[in-house]
Amino acid sequence: MTIFRLGEQTPPPPRRITDTVVERLEHQYEVDPDLMQITPQQDMPVWDSRRIFNARWDHLDWMHAHFADEVLLAGEESETMEEHP
Amino acid sequence: MSPVAFKSAVDDHVVEELRAIIGDDARVRPDQSSRAFRSRVPAPFPVHRWAEHYPDVVILPKTAIEVSEVVKLANRHKIPIVPRAGGTGLSDGAVPLRGGIMIDCKLMNQIHEIDLVDRTVTVGPGINMLKLNEELKQHGVIYPDDPASYPCSLVGGRIGTGGWSLLGARYGHTRDLVISMEVVLPTGEIVEIAEGGGRKLRKSSTGLTLKQLFTGHQGTLGITTQATLELVPRPEVEFAAFFAFDEYIKAWETTGILTKSGLATIAGVVLFDEKKIEYLRRDDEAYIPQPDTVNAVVAVAMYGRRCEVEPASKEIMRLGKSNTGKYLGDEISAGDWASRHDRYATPLHGRDLDGQAVLMSWHCEDAALNYSVLPQVREEWHAIVARYRERYGIFDDWGMFAYTSGAHKPWADYLVEIDVGIWEQKLNDEYWAAWVDCKREIAQVSLKYGGSITACHGATREGDADLVPEEMGSAWPVVKAIKRALDPNNVMNPGKQSLDEAYE
Ligand SMILES: Cc1cc2nc3c(=O)[nH]c(=O)nc-3n(C[C@H](O)[C@H](O)[C@H](O)COP(=O)(O)OP(=O)(O)OC[C@H]3O[C@@H](n4cnc5c(N)ncnc54)[C@H](O)[C@@H]3O)c2cc1C
Repeated sequence: MTIFRLGEQTPPPPRRITDTVVERLEHQYEVDPDLMQITPQQDMPVWDSRRIFNARWDHLDWMHAHFADEVLLAGEESETMEEHP
Repeated sequence: MSPVAFKSAVDDHVVEELRAIIGDDARVRPDQSSRAFRSRVPAPFPVHRWAEHYPDVVILPKTAIEVSEVVKLANRHKIPIVPRAGGTGLSDGAVPLRGGIMIDCKLMNQIHEIDLVDRTVTVGPGINMLKLNEELKQHGVIYPDDPASYPCSLVGGRIGTGGWSLLGARYGHTRDLVISMEVVLPTGEIVEIAEGGGRKLRKSSTGLTLKQLFTGHQGTLGITTQATLELVPRPEVEFAAFFAFDEYIKAWETTGILTKSGLATIAGVVLFDEKKIEYLRRDDEAYIPQPDTVNAVVAVAMYGRRCEVEPASKEIMRLGKSNTGKYLGDEISAGDWASRHDRYATPLHGRDLDGQAVLMSWHCEDAALNYSVLPQVREEWHAIVARYRERYGIFDDWGMFAYTSGAHKPWADYLVEIDVGIWEQKLNDEYWAAWVDCKREIAQVSLKYGGSITACHGATREGDADLVPEEMGSAWPVVKAIKRALDPNNVMNPGKQSLDEAYE
């Protein structure tokens, strides 16, 4: 049996991304905790955040396959993120 | 003449009669939780007056005969009937205004026939499009009615609202995809409704085209108990491209360029305005890291055979960039398109005046407007919401988008949405009245610019309903005459769309 201890699964301290958004795990953005005074945040263990994040990709793949046999891509990089890598 | 159905008519005797018709007590539900769960929809709701919207009893019929018998009973006793499918309608169509009997059609979810020769599928109104398409996939066909509520709305509600589809520019919207239906009229008769005769015919000129009348009436003219729907070949490929702009007007012009391109595989073109990008920038992982120069976005999606879509996609890339547009990249384009059912509108939180995140419910204005007026309407709508936000502090502007709305003709009509967050927990009579006023002001702008209050949700919510006579204009007496003729006792979803005026 695996025993879950929140202490072992605490996410790292946040890194500021914008005035109102922070990031704790790569590509997982969160509203700045200072702006969450009225709506308290729940402690999320890392594995649970990851699970939700990964499930999102599964969901998108499923949605693509549901509507068409194949996804056609332009095959071009983002022209906006090039400016601000 | 004022035979307006009223609430208190459902007594124990009526419940016993209903039990006798249905013959299964589990499908006749007068209990509080069955009623409470079916009293609201995801649109802003006067939570402080929740119980006033309970139906008196919920019925879960399985056949048209059962529906017919229940409707006959209601008509005899002058009891309101409210049809309900998925309960996702955003204009309160399935919210009882005078209690009564709610007909929840979820158990009528069968696929009755798949006809691969004449390309139709016949279903009950309780089936969901996602579930239907899972079944159809093996046959190489699809039923392409794709609202953002695709995973949760049902065919009966799509017909009840006259729904709008994200793929409508290519495949048409609900009314274009329903070929015929079986309907229980307000007096209980079961009738076949189509273009003329012919359950599987897409076009007929016999008699009157009743099919359109029975699509989008919000359950005020009858209850659909079966529908024969269009089957189209399952697309080989999907292509989506998102382009960023530093200013709205360039994005608007590019939307015009794309929609007038004549490319037949275009399924939808969407224009997100600056406020929407501002909102996505605070709450959407795809937009948070974007540079400040991204202020408006245009998205295009195409479906069809590879031999059509592949060359057309090259032209889309050229046109999308022809007026300063910058491609957002393959990952955002494909990923955001695949998230079209759950993004942009429904984080269900917004910001108070201090920027604090608070739980909010979602108002989705859905005017139908022409291309030419989009910039002006945008300014006026945002100004209205800003004024109410400033004054009451419980509203938040989540931005706007305009989405192609003409079936098979993407060039001129748009579903124009402003999404407004509402802090429901704060609602009281004063704040609710303020919201209804705000809502009405937004709708009045649409009318001022020659638009329609609603492209898909229906003019059944407070703040809209009282403007229906104005929008219908000289046709309003015709509407009232039809309602009165079909529903002499005003039992079918009474109180909606100002139709009580038919009985004055
Ligand atoms: C997240 C989200 C996204 C959405 N996106 C879209 C969108 O892209 N396009 C769009 O069009 N809508 C959209 N909607 C609104 C809603 O999903 C649609 O209006 C849908 O058509 C409602 O279907 P439903 O099954 O939930 O119907 P309900 O809400 O249960 O009912 C809608 C209306 O139809 C009537 N009705 C129900 N069943 C019947 C029947 N059998 N016969 C006659 N009348 C009936 C009801 O009385 C009511 O007036 C969205 C909603 C949500 C929550």
